Amino acid sequence: MPKAEPKLPSELPITQPRYVGKDSPRMEDPLSLTGKVEYGNDIRTLGMLHAAILRSPHAHALIKSIDTSRAEKLPGVAAVLTGKEVKAWSRPVFGVPEGWTGYALAVEKTHWAGEPVAVVAASDRYIAEDALELIDVEYEPLEPVVDALKAGTGSSPCVLEGKDSNVAYDRRFVFGDVEGGMAGADLIVREQFRWHRSSGNPIETCVCIADWDPFTGMLTLRGGHRSPHLILPALVISLGVSSQQVRIVQSPLGGSFGVKTFARYVVLIALMAKKLGGRAVKWTEDRIEHLVGNSSHAWDRHYDCELALKRDGTITAMTMKLVDDLGAFAEWLAIGMLLKPLLCLGSCYHIANVDYSCKGVLTNKTPQGPLRAFGLPPHFWIIEQLIDIAAKKLGLEANEIRRRNFIRKDQFPYISPSGNVYDSGNYEGSLELLLDRSGYDRLRREQQQARAEGRLVGIGVASSVEPGLTGPPMLALASPRIFTRTSSPEGILVRFDGFGKIIAELGFPPGGQSQHSFVRQILADYFGVKLEDIQVLTVDSLSMQPSTGPISSSMAIALSGAVLGAAARLADKLKLVAAVMLEASADDVELFDGQFRVRGVPGKSLAAAAVTQFMMARPDLLPEGVDGNPQATYVWNPPDRTIPDEKGFGRYSVTAAGAQHLCMVEVDRETGQVKILKYVMVDDCGVRLNPSVVRGMLMGGMAHGVGAALLEEYVYDDQGQMLTSSYMDYLMPTIMEVPAAEEHEMCTPSPIAPLGVKGVGEGALHTTPATVLCAVNDALEPLGVRITEAPMTPLRIWRALQGAASH
Amino acid sequence: MATTRTIKLRVNGRDYEGTAEVRKTLVDFLREDLGLTGTNVGCEHGVCGACTILMNGEAVRSCIMLAAQADGAELMTVEGLAKPGGELHPIQEAFREKHGLQCGFCTPGFLMTTYELLQKHPDADEEEIKEWLSGNLCRCTGYQDILESVKLAASRLRNR
Repeated sequence: MPKAEPKLPSELPITQPRYVGKDSPRMEDPLSLTGKVEYGNDIRTLGMLHAAILRSPHAHALIKSIDTSRAEKLPGVAAVLTGKEVKAWSRPVFGVPEGWTGYALAVEKTHWAGEPVAVVAASDRYIAEDALELIDVEYEPLEPVVDALKAGTGSSPCVLEGKDSNVAYDRRFVFGDVEGGMAGADLIVREQFRWHRSSGNPIETCVCIADWDPFTGMLTLRGGHRSPHLILPALVISLGVSSQQVRIVQSPLGGSFGVKTFARYVVLIALMAKKLGGRAVKWTEDRIEHLVGNSSHAWDRHYDCELALKRDGTITAMTMKLVDDLGAFAEWLAIGMLLKPLLCLGSCYHIANVDYSCKGVLTNKTPQGPLRAFGLPPHFWIIEQLIDIAAKKLGLEANEIRRRNFIRKDQFPYISPSGNVYDSGNYEGSLELLLDRSGYDRLRREQQQARAEGRLVGIGVASSVEPGLTGPPMLALASPRIFTRTSSPEGILVRFDGFGKIIAELGFPPGGQSQHSFVRQILADYFGVKLEDIQVLTVDSLSMQPSTGPISSSMAIALSGAVLGAAARLADKLKLVAAVMLEASADDVELFDGQFRVRGVPGKSLAAAAVTQFMMARPDLLPEGVDGNPQATYVWNPPDRTIPDEKGFGRYSVTAAGAQHLCMVEVDRETGQVKILKYVMVDDCGVRLNPSVVRGMLMGGMAHGVGAALLEEYVYDDQGQMLTSSYMDYLMPTIMEVPAAEEHEMCTPSPIAPLGVKGVGEGALHTTPATVLCAVNDALEPLGVRITEAPMTPLRIWRALQGAASH
Repeated sequence: MATTRTIKLRVNGRDYEGTAEVRKTLVDFLREDLGLTGTNVGCEHGVCGACTILMNGEAVRSCIMLAAQADGAELMTVEGLAKPGGELHPIQEAFREKHGLQCGFCTPGFLMTTYELLQKHPDADEEEIKEWLSGNLCRCTGYQDILESVKLAASRLRNR
């Protein structure tokens, strides 16, 4: 650790930060605005082939035979890959717990409608798609497993070959005295909830270009991949390839939201490349493939929950039993999404006694994969909805229950029942700010007025906690063998060139998170230079420092730590050189406002650029042990995380950002349509390195949450066929559905993270679904109906209205 | 029936001629044959708007048009907005200033839709802007900063 990592922007070695904490133009923008970004799909190399994937039309079927001869004869077709080769050349795709996945191509049978069955490589995409129609596959349909509750009981066929059960994961975690908490309660609210699957849907789909050279053994992968350190183990495990023989060149991403790890398809296209023996092949997923076939659906859950309270609203216990329909495989890190609630079981409330059990069950549907907010949005909705229900039963204002149970400002750092630590927060202050700025009392009066007019107007208020920088510790509960680690390394290399300019090299590509810009902001303030004097690059997997990338709300924390660590190391090195130049003792030299100066000797100073140029020019004058290389690397890791014990007790994350949202909706009685009349959010994510970037992420997360709450759903029929396989049916929120939200800032700096920041990238998606869904139920309240299924589509609401009318 | 066709068109003020299969989409022709990769493909079924370009001054979705349909047309793509010397168009400037983009993948489509809107309705109010942009999907921004960008661009273009 470098000494004295700045815990606030004011501790940077500069009189007044000029860039950190301020809106600053993004260095990513000019390329994006002029169409010059080179995304994966923009890459074309001479002789490159194009892949297309044949997918199973059946949810569950035996593959009796595959005949590729007609396809292979089509002019332009280079090769066809089938399950036989994939089985011979690879192991099943990576997933935890181990043993619950299939191969990258279906071998003996298909497991979901849309599962890859064969891959064609041809001279262009059109021909590759033509060839798919010439592949003859004989299927014998089997009974599809579509109901997760039945699938987990044993009376159902098994989805995966060689297994005698569909239950891939089943764990119960009990913290505190749940029985005592239940027994001591005056009211126990029990409700069942259903959350249907949706996904991240970045506007750019997945792209992978693979080239596997048979002479050197080198596998080169290009395209829009997120985080080589995540993909590499999957490749090593599935392909048996040697890690130093894999080079992952990361293109900028047109969004990810969790999707762009797509390890299954990276393995598949690499295998196609192996068959091609040294010719590069590109696969660009089309949107329908993305919706049907990308293993990136998330959260298909059935919940049975109880909240126990005292008469005064004090929560004494909570139980949650959930069954998650994982789809065909427990692929990749999907199980982690069942475990993430352990980090914040009580949300921003002190709930000492919690019984949480989670079961992951296989069905013949698209496998789940990582999605922004990683399993938490349903959790927060349920807590807030149960509070609203309890408030009515107890005759209390729901916000009174919230206030009574909030973790108080003086309780931080707060150790939650599962052992995770919340670093800081001000939940009650945030709620008061929200209620004040939204004019809550006035809104309630308006609601009464509207109700008197027969209109269905509702108000929802919800809170959440966003654990910042999570990752391996919770995954140890799924696979202790693989995830016995507390690290989430983020590394950077920072150097001065011979002209006194700065170059920084990161290990992950631009994808909307603005990391190149904020590295520049921090370095410019640290070394007292202009933004334009700094270049920031993403380097490939063989050149980069260990890097985790922007996953699980980690980027601002970890990358700040890396930049500050490297800057401090570099400054220490330059001090030794400056001491020679200034004829002073190195102990007396300090860096401030971009100058190396001698403490107590005014006027004796040198710009950092001058020191680095001297360092490179005069090796003969450098002190012993100092090389002529003005560069430093640093790998930052989260402090104090632990590997959880068997009971699930551990310290899993670094920061805890808090959010409080309010939403006012009106439900159309005739159509079930929901209109958002007002949306206000208060977010406390500590120090904001670039406020407009943070605000943009919050607004984007809110929009994503509106989609999850009201629109987006992958619907399957009873044969396991997906009915929402295009954007005509899978409804993404447009500018018409997303409200013009007000956003108010609360700032409780993290005492742990560098510069006081907190992770916020998953942000509003944690809170918005809860807020909107509670608002809809508040609107329906006078009718005596409640919807416990998300998304609350017009059809579901209309049905509830019909139910109310028939009472 | 011929399976290929010679296509002559004008893109961003420059004449191009190419031969393409009649089934080739316009966006593939632009990207693969003319090397104009600034136009991105998001859904290939005409919903997301990422591939929006202008054809004879009107916004079209280049993923659901055939290249052959553009024979003889005058097109404008995102590459045609900024001046070659490095000066961004006021719409691009406004998107930069108001943080109207994050990952940037949908951005070319938004810029081109905005271009047509402000050509035809320089005084567009907020509702009209929303109506025009409702056919373009963005997953990153939540649209608010895009709306602010378009409003700023409109006022600058009006006062030019």
